[in-house]
Amino acid sequence: MSNFETYLTSRMTGDDSHTLAAYKKNGGYATLERALKEMQPADVTEAVKASGLRGRGGAGFPTGLKWTFMPDPAKDPRKRYLAINADESEPGTCKDRVIMDEDPHGLLEGILLACYAMKCEASYIYVRGEYRHQYDRTAAAIVEAREAGLIGKNILGSGFDCEIHMHKGAGAYICGEETGMMESLEGKRGHPRPKPPFPAGFGLWGQPTTVNNVETIFNVPFIVDKGAEWYRTMGSESSPGNFLVGISGNVNKPGVYEAPLGTNAKELLEADHFAGGVPEGRKLKAWFTGGSSTGMMSADTIDVAMDHDSVKAAGTMLGTAAMIILDDSQCVVRAMQIIARFYDHESCGQCSQCREGCQWLHQIFKRIEDGQGRDGDIDLLTSIGNGMAPGKTICALADAAAIPAHMMVKHFRAELEEHIRDGGCKINKTGKYAPQSAPEPAEAQA
Amino acid sequence: MIKITVNGREVEADPTKPLIAACDDSGIDVPRYCYHPAMEPKGSCRICQVEVSEGGRPGRVMAACRTQVSEGMVVNTEADGAHDARRECLEFLLKNHPLDCPICDKAGECTLQDYSFQEQQAAGRTGEPRANLEKRVDLGDVIMLDQERCILCTRCVRFQEEVTKKPELTNAGLASNSYITTFAGRPLTGNYQGNLADVCPVGALTLKPFRFKARVWNLEKSSSTCAECSRGCSISVEVLRRGDVKRIRPVFNPDVNQWWMCDTGRFSFPEVNDPERLLGGLVANGADLMGSTTGEAIKHAASVLSTSGSKVLIASPFLTVEEAERVQPLAAAIGAELLFVSPDANDLKDDLLHTGDPCPNRKGLENAGFRGISPKDAADRVTGADAAVLVGERILKLLGGFDLGATKLVTFDTTACLASGVEACIATPFYVEKAGTWINVDGHEGELTIARPLPSSVSPLETSLEELTKTLSRTGASV
Repeated sequence: MSNFETYLTSRMTGDDSHTLAAYKKNGGYATLERALKEMQPADVTEAVKASGLRGRGGAGFPTGLKWTFMPDPAKDPRKRYLAINADESEPGTCKDRVIMDEDPHGLLEGILLACYAMKCEASYIYVRGEYRHQYDRTAAAIVEAREAGLIGKNILGSGFDCEIHMHKGAGAYICGEETGMMESLEGKRGHPRPKPPFPAGFGLWGQPTTVNNVETIFNVPFIVDKGAEWYRTMGSESSPGNFLVGISGNVNKPGVYEAPLGTNAKELLEADHFAGGVPEGRKLKAWFTGGSSTGMMSADTIDVAMDHDSVKAAGTMLGTAAMIILDDSQCVVRAMQIIARFYDHESCGQCSQCREGCQWLHQIFKRIEDGQGRDGDIDLLTSIGNGMAPGKTICALADAAAIPAHMMVKHFRAELEEHIRDGGCKINKTGKYAPQSAPEPAEAQA
Repeated sequence: MIKITVNGREVEADPTKPLIAACDDSGIDVPRYCYHPAMEPKGSCRICQVEVSEGGRPGRVMAACRTQVSEGMVVNTEADGAHDARRECLEFLLKNHPLDCPICDKAGECTLQDYSFQEQQAAGRTGEPRANLEKRVDLGDVIMLDQERCILCTRCVRFQEEVTKKPELTNAGLASNSYITTFAGRPLTGNYQGNLADVCPVGALTLKPFRFKARVWNLEKSSSTCAECSRGCSISVEVLRRGDVKRIRPVFNPDVNQWWMCDTGRFSFPEVNDPERLLGGLVANGADLMGSTTGEAIKHAASVLSTSGSKVLIASPFLTVEEAERVQPLAAAIGAELLFVSPDANDLKDDLLHTGDPCPNRKGLENAGFRGISPKDAADRVTGADAAVLVGERILKLLGGFDLGATKLVTFDTTACLASGVEACIATPFYVEKAGTWINVDGHEGELTIARPLPSSVSPLETSLEELTKTLSRTGASV
């Protein structure tokens, strides 16, 4: 079994972990009560800052620092909002879903603490449209909490007012981009806004807004309760705390696991208390560190500590820590084509490079997989990727689409070349290998 | 104002505006598709890439429309990196473009063509099939949308959101399946639809009355002033091969119409392409009208006027300031009051440009001592006199609904007068064939230039009026 302290998943047991009664039995909302009575808002921010908590939504930005970007309410009397990004749409990612399913009150307590710290009068939870069950669970938790005087006016007699609203997305990946999400919350098309202005200055309805991920906010009550020092005992120096890793693909035990940041990816993949390795008789071929946007890496890179800086040093990003595992029964070109298709479908269509580039990448990967690859395609892929990113568009979706293409060329150039040279895919039987056109036995090829 | 350096030259920049506006103000052209000075910068087309260096740091290539200017900023619009970025952007924009320039009305004034040429981005590397979208989406009476040519800059959407404030267009679909459409597919409404074709940087939104009518490089463009209301929008009158006016477009005038004009003005050009226009003159011959030269018609007019009793003169509100000056001595010579027809305000008035007042030179005429009277009043005065001079473009149309009795009429208009008492008709130019001035509702002078040569049998109105006044004084002297 694991030899580390868990806290994120500690309450996620039994059938009723999502109820207020179960949550209170585990000491729920005691931290909020204590904070409202004994702590100043600045103390809460200070605790989060000192803990070194980094955002779990993908970018890994220090949360406490982000909170301090909100303007001083004494000088800026505008309304202030906290927006919770629960539009968990990154392929492979399913950690926030577990939180909303199993422990929605933990999220609500975190929201209330964050709103108290930043003096926000309301919070909006933007939930991915497909997360109906999670939406219902969280909405039910809000009703319970409101009845218990934990949401609304004068919370627990402290004089602190805070509302929590929920909003369902309509299924667009781009609404997980923070400014696209705000546009969507305002009732508009989820077209990301150019930055600056940043949300802290001009956010929801033009008011100061902080956008945080579900898992990030879920960490807050633990930090406020047990202190920054305790928090820093877990994880790595630059990325403290535990994180939720969603491991999917060709593994024996896919699922969401809690682990300290900095845990080796090889351990996460192979250990029995994590994913339990790839199926018997197969070998690891490729893996994603944290969702499809981080790109596929070859098997020899698996020995890496899963924290923001180590993964960055390995040439990609921690992202949402959603590991997708491909074994040697899979074709990486086909996997890449599926990912390219996803971005081609989900680009918002505003920026020229992203709209056209995502489509172009998909068309080329599809051709290569189908056996119609051409000489020069690989260089073209790189060139298209360079035309799309980094930082050439309004938001990072173009980067998210270009990075996997670059990683593909970097780690699996040989596979691409083989597909182009052979005119098809051996594994998926396309092009030259398609059954009707290529009846020869496989040995003839080797 | 702050100081920045653009291409080695120190220029003043307004810190409330984006960098691209500072480049515009200093006369340096930066390519743009989504940016329009009348709208909030969107920053989505990504063509306006320039190299920017702040605080001595190495230059970075960024979109000029979303870059805030700062004191001491150094900008190079011609940096290699900027050109590379624009070429990249163009290649993406042209990836699905149908390249149907030979049949595109925008060809010749299309910025996709212009910037491709300028940036030497001639060859695309795409070998993929191009998007197959709707090429003829009818958006109402004015606009036809070609979705294949559209580069989704959304200027049209934002024009309605931000300028007319009546949004009817939207961006629908996602990613490479995005397209522009109207809400619920309804046709566009309003009097400012034509501007959508102007703001469209490519051939996606074309004017139905201009589709396939002319290649733009064959159009001779002259600046002029719109005749359809007292706003007097600055316009470009575009004439095909010295013949018909094929298109009228607004010209940027910060004091009057900004970048816009209404459809009433834009599509008023059939008025000046009248195939039935009067050439030379007409002279009464018994019960008939006989063709003549303008000289003969003027001579006849002088003899009629000098032998008649009470006389009135009714001017058209379309007279230019210069023509009005020639009407004054004529009115004095026949002892008539200075009057012009002033129709009631029409219901085209809106809060953007149209004033509802159909008199383009009301101010100018009033300044010259003319008094506006209703068409009914004008008709009554005509019938009450022995002879009347009706002078100016569209005067016959303005009085067309009234019985002018048997009063002897001398008319100066582009068409013939068919009233029973007509004695002489003298052909005059349309406003697009005149040089002169109109004064608009706010006192701004609008200049008219000669956009099309006058037919040889038609004289400028000033000349005809001078001629008549001179002949009258000679006749008067000889009597």
